[in-house]
Amino acid sequence: MLDLDQMKQQWAEHDRKLEEMIRLNRQLLSMTNLNGARSALQRMAAFLGVGAIVWFAIVAALGSFIYANIGIPRFALPAGLLDVFAIAMLSANIRLMATARQIDYAQPVTSIQKQLANLRRLRIRITQWALIAGTVVWAPAAIVACRALLGIETYSVAWLLANVVFGLSLIPLSLWASKKFGDRMGQSPFMQQLMNDIAGRNLTKAQNFLAELSEFESETT
Amino acid sequence: MTTPALQEKFQILVDEHKKILYKVCYSYCRNRDDREDLAQEIIVQLWRSFASFDGRCRFSTWMYRIALNVAISFYRRESTRTRHVLSDDEKVLNAIDETENRSAEMQALYEFIDGPEPLNKALILLYLDGNSYSEIADVVGITETNVATKISRLKQTMREEFRA
Repeated sequence: MLDLDQMKQQWAEHDRKLEEMIRLNRQLLSMTNLNGARSALQRMAAFLGVGAIVWFAIVAALGSFIYANIGIPRFALPAGLLDVFAIAMLSANIRLMATARQIDYAQPVTSIQKQLANLRRLRIRITQWALIAGTVVWAPAAIVACRALLGIETYSVAWLLANVVFGLSLIPLSLWASKKFGDRMGQSPFMQQLMNDIAGRNLTKAQNFLAELSEFESETT
Repeated sequence: MTTPALQEKFQILVDEHKKILYKVCYSYCRNRDDREDLAQEIIVQLWRSFASFDGRCRFSTWMYRIALNVAISFYRRESTRTRHVLSDDEKVLNAIDETENRSAEMQALYEFIDGPEPLNKALILLYLDGNSYSEIADVVGITETNVATKISRLKQTMREEFRA
């Protein structure tokens, strides 16, 4: 086995050979290709941007619904609750988007990796809270949607309670399913990510990486 | 500077430093298609950031920072990524998969770099590439003393492993 300094000498030899061995595909570096391509972070920011537009449309539609039903508390209140949820989701999307856009990859590695891990942690926490809140706001959402889209009145205390209980029971169920099947969703990266977010695996990974970064930066360890 | 002029400058600089691209991709990806995906992601990020490159640091330092940041992120999300196979026209570095051109020693070197976790991997790569402690500190974002300590510890670990 070689030591690191012997490896360094071999590496320098390898470096000299590399110059002749590799060719850069200049065609791929043409303006059309470069300007059309999006980095992973830009794709994420674009996805969040679409999400923000959708949530803004929901907030606006709910505002209009509340205005039309202002004198009917049994509709205005659930719509108000939904509106709070939609505004929170809109703010979360904008916050994530703004954070993602501020990341400058030309900064030192530890600084950028810390920012990325914090962004990942924030995104996972938002997903977890959105899913928990989503199971609760499901009932008011059904009331508002039935009224606004179909003109049907589904409102009754028993119905409301049944749906809240149903929604809450989905929390442990989705947690169990995510823990059990999250790792087996290899064919669908999106589903795998979502299930690992719910199960808390991705949050643990992000936190462990942040701890790893702190340890790496520390001079005593 | 106009966009075509900027692009011309970018192409020249990246071509001059293409070895950084090659070595980072090889150090962070074992799979050939993943290496190509990573090379493309690095190129895209380099171009996106190029307009803000002000020359205050060396181009190689700037390129290392971006390439390593993209590679570490890529490495960390690799397990949840959708893989796709690229045609030859889509490949950034035409010799990026020429493992057959590599000697057994080089293969062993890349295997050694493949071992540690992503942050130490960056440190080893920068050290083997002949960067000074100050340059490594600048790219990684830790103090020069810390770089020296970590390199010395890596050497020690290797010696102990060798003795064992």
